[in-house]
Amino acid sequence: MRSLIFLLLVLGALIIQSTVLHFISIFGVIPDLVLVLAILNGFLRGTKEGAFLGFVAGILQDLVSGGYFGVNAITKMLAGYLAGLGEGRLYRENRFIAAGLTWLCTFLSELVYYLLLYMVDVHVSAMPAIFQIILPVSLYNAVAVLIIYGFYYRSDRSGMLSEGE
Amino acid sequence: MSRISGGKKLIFLGIIVIILLAGLHFTAGNMSKLTPLASATRDLLAPVQKLATIAGRKTINFISFPVKLINVANRNEKLEAKVSELEGKLSQYQETQQENARLKKLLDFKNSAASQMSTLTAAVIARDNDNWFGSIIVDAGSKDGIKRDMAVITPAGLVGRVIKVSSATAEVLLITDPRSGVGCLVQETRAPGVVEGVAGSRGALHMVHIPPDMAPNKGDKIITSGFGSIYPKGIPIGTVLETQKEKSGLFKMASIKPFVDFNRLEEVLIITSAHPGGE
Repeated sequence: MRSLIFLLLVLGALIIQSTVLHFISIFGVIPDLVLVLAILNGFLRGTKEGAFLGFVAGILQDLVSGGYFGVNAITKMLAGYLAGLGEGRLYRENRFIAAGLTWLCTFLSELVYYLLLYMVDVHVSAMPAIFQIILPVSLYNAVAVLIIYGFYYRSDRSGMLSEGE
Repeated sequence: MSRISGGKKLIFLGIIVIILLAGLHFTAGNMSKLTPLASATRDLLAPVQKLATIAGRKTINFISFPVKLINVANRNEKLEAKVSELEGKLSQYQETQQENARLKKLLDFKNSAASQMSTLTAAVIARDNDNWFGSIIVDAGSKDGIKRDMAVITPAGLVGRVIKVSSATAEVLLITDPRSGVGCLVQETRAPGVVEGVAGSRGALHMVHIPPDMAPNKGDKIITSGFGSIYPKGIPIGTVLETQKEKSGLFKMASIKPFVDFNRLEEVLIITSAHPGGE
C-alpha cells in the first residue's frame, strides 16, 4: 500500500514536471521531483527500499517520457541506494542535512545519466553538461527539498507513507 | 513487496539493470517508434497534461500581470514607432514581391516551398520531464494526419521536427536538443553549415562546419538550407552571436541566438504539405 501511494506521488510529480514546473524553470532548468522522491525515500527507508522504489519510479518515468528505456530506472535506483547509505548515519530531522544529501545524490546520479547518454550515442559536451545541467539541477533539487522535506518527513513518520516501518 | 527478502531484491535489481543496459546498447539510435504501451500512456496522460499546462499558464499570467502593466505604456510608445517604420517597409516589400512574381513568371520558376506550405496549428501540452533533452508534446497526432519528420515552426522561426506520433499527440524534437541537426545557410553570404542543439532547453544553438573563409559576422541571419528534405528552405533559425574555430581547426563554428523563445512555446505550426509524401 505504501509503495502504491509512493508511486502515485511519482506519477503526480511526473505530470507536474512535464507541465507547470516549466513555468518556474531557472536558466532553462527544472528540478527533478521524481529524483527528489527517490532520494527522500532512500534517506528515510534505507538502501534496499530506496533502490527498489527508485528503480520502479524510474521505470514509470521512462514509460511516460518515451525516451531511452532504462536510463531513468538505473539512475534513480542509484540515487535511492546512495541516499539509503545515509539512513541511520545522518540526522534525519534536519532539513538542511536532507538538502545536502539531495545535492550530492542528484549530482552523482545525473553524472551517471550523462555517461549513459554516451551509451545511446547522444553526445553532450562536458562543460555545458556540468555547468548548465548537472550543477543547476543539483542545486534546484536541494532547494526543492528544503521546501518539501518537513511535509514529506511527517507523512513518512505518521501520515500516508508511514506504513511498514 | 515485503514478502521478498531484501537481499534477493538487490540481486533481482542487479539482473534487471544488466538486461536494461544491454537493451539500451542495442536499441540506441532506433528511437523512431513509440511502443504500444508508451503510446497508450501518452494518449491517456495528454488531457491531464493539457489541463495542467493551461492552468499553469493562467496562474503565471495572473501573477505577472501587474508587473507587465508597468511596462506597457513604455512598450506601447516603442511599438507605435516600430509600426510606422514597418508600414513603410511593407509597401517596399509589396513592390518587391510583385516584381518578384513578374520575374518568376518570366522565368517559369516554381515557387519556393516556404511560401506555399500548408500548416496545422497545435497547442503545446507538455515538455520533456528531464533536463537533458529538448522536446515538446503537442495535441495533434496521427488522427490529424501528423507524420514523422514533419517540420514544426512558429511565425518567428524554426522549432523542430516531429519524431514520434501517437494517435492524439506528437512529440517534437526541438532544434535545441543535442540529437538535432539542421542543414542551414547564412542568409547574406550563403555559407553552409549545420545547426546543432547544445543541451536541454536552455535555447543555445551552435552552427558548425562553416567553411573558414565564409565565417559569418555577429548579427548575421541563419536560415534553413532545405538540404535533407525534412525542413523546407528559407525558414529563419536565428542570428549569430559570435564565431570561433572548431576544435578540429578545419572549420568555423558560431553560437546562434534562436528567433523562437523555446521556454515560452504555446502554439506551433506543423508543416503538413511540404513534407515529401505527406500530402
